[in-house]
Amino acid sequence: MAYTLAEKILGAHADRTVKAGDVVVARVDFAMVHDARAANALKQLEKLGAKSLPNASRTAFVLDHYSPPPNPEAANTHIAMRRFADERGAVLYDIGDGICHQVLPEGGHLTCGDLVVGTDTHSTTYGAFNAFGTGVEGTDVSAVMMTGKLWFRVPETIRIELKGRLQPGVWAKDVTLTMLGRLGAEGANYRALEYCGEAVAAMDIDDRMTLSNHAAELGAKAAILEADEKTCAWLKAHGAREPRSVKADADAVYAQRIEIDAAALVPQVARNHRIDDVIGVPEVAGQKIDIALIGTCTNGRLDDMRQAAAILKGKRIAKGVRMIVTPASRQIYLAALREGLIEALTAAGASVEAAGCGTCVNITGHLIPGDDQVIISSANRNFKGRLGNPRSEIWIASSATVAASALTGRITDAREVAGGLWRAAA
Amino acid sequence: MQKIKGRAHLLPEEINTDLHCSAKYMPGKDTAYVAQHAFEQIAPQFVSGFKPGDVIVAGRNFGINSSREQAVHAMRLLGVAAVVAPAFGRQFFRNAINNGLPVVECDISGIDQDDALEIDLTAGVMNVLDPGLQRVFPPLPAAIQTLLAAGGLIPFLQRYPDWKVA
Ligand code: SF4
Repeated sequence: MAYTLAEKILGAHADRTVKAGDVVVARVDFAMVHDARAANALKQLEKLGAKSLPNASRTAFVLDHYSPPPNPEAANTHIAMRRFADERGAVLYDIGDGICHQVLPEGGHLTCGDLVVGTDTHSTTYGAFNAFGTGVEGTDVSAVMMTGKLWFRVPETIRIELKGRLQPGVWAKDVTLTMLGRLGAEGANYRALEYCGEAVAAMDIDDRMTLSNHAAELGAKAAILEADEKTCAWLKAHGAREPRSVKADADAVYAQRIEIDAAALVPQVARNHRIDDVIGVPEVAGQKIDIALIGTCTNGRLDDMRQAAAILKGKRIAKGVRMIVTPASRQIYLAALREGLIEALTAAGASVEAAGCGTCVNITGHLIPGDDQVIISSANRNFKGRLGNPRSEIWIASSATVAASALTGRITDAREVAGGLWRAAA
Repeated sequence: MQKIKGRAHLLPEEINTDLHCSAKYMPGKDTAYVAQHAFEQIAPQFVSGFKPGDVIVAGRNFGINSSREQAVHAMRLLGVAAVVAPAFGRQFFRNAINNGLPVVECDISGIDQDDALEIDLTAGVMNVLDPGLQRVFPPLPAAIQTLLAAGGLIPFLQRYPDWKVA
């Protein structure tokens, strides 16, 4: 028999062989609850009434969405989370430590072949490390803390092969936007994705995390990559358990196989209100923008800061443009400080904020666009009103495109702007 | 499981969880408050016209977007007997099962507001009594039907804390 990555990982955690469509009860290696779901999770835990929570120590509580808390209820949730972590021995990441999907891998909490759940759709991010990462809710995490297990329906898998190398200046973000244009939002609903091929092998970990993270917009339940030396070296450097990588069998059964000519891709942007209304940047170049955002769990990593700083260093963003940069974690913030990126971005006119979900969604209230303002963002979602004003527009693109657009005040193909750190196709 | 009988209550397609319960009501608003405002942005009459035991019949991709379980809690509070749609957001589907809310994935064409529906989850059949349509759907796996029958994951674990069904 031959198995996909999802079938192998879920099977290994259920102690039996499984095929797509099976429902299994599987052991969970690590769980995460963030502050926007913590109140619910704590309520469900109370309902469950478990006497002991033997797996609380393998659960992280992350204060990232209400960072900083916009009202007393959010601040009170934070108090309850800190208290719970303290009393029950859960791992705590406090305000400013970073976004859940960044701090989990950075904290060494997961490794290859793991089964990880989090109260967030972008928990697919952990797939970049050859783990099955998926989004659940408070009820699920309560069950995991009490029993160490959870039910899963084993997903069918779509295998996406990226043939050839991406051109310099084209990023994982552009790959995902291309897939969204092809499959549509939710086009991979209930399914797992496996990304493979030369372009994936050539990507650094930061870009691979974007690939797995952004699969959530395709509706994917997981987006798992195979591990290589880069994966193992990264995991070891971050103190993860010994990686034991899992490979898919050559003749595994896939719901669909897709081949993409990676070398032919160009920078993409998703237009306002629909993440799958995708168009090449060259076709919309010149569209005026008012606000530029770099950050979030999709593209707030060191590579993103480097791209932005390379484009903006020694220059000034366009007059009248507001630019916000939010590193995804404290570690990234510190690394960007050491590399001089924060200074370059601040000098160029950007406001750099403390690590967290920042302005991804209108929770903290510190970015509410005005009527008819156009935002270009490296985030993952552009639903109408996501930033608190349905009369504004959100366009989604790579950090390089966002930085280049901030520079000119119009949507700009970053490859036409001097200074970009275009990774050469070796 | 028992058959579900209820009146169809139509909603359009692509209803994300921001439309179920807008983020502006969070945090700190209780489920009763969220339920009172359910779907108000797209169907302002929804809550006043809905009676416990009614069935939501929605278009494609019901419950996409973020993984908010509160959207399901609000529907349970309103007394939604089941949700029928051609496709669901993955996380919504999971939350529904965890909270004992039956979800039926099938073609909804031909169903009108207030049609009387009869759903047999075990057999995978939905009848629209007048005009006499029948829709079949793959029944949910037995393990999931057990969770639903128990009323959701928490009551299930209270009875079977080691996940083993006697
Ligand atoms: S950065 Fe945005 S998408 Fe990511 S976890 Fe935070 S709010 Fe969600």
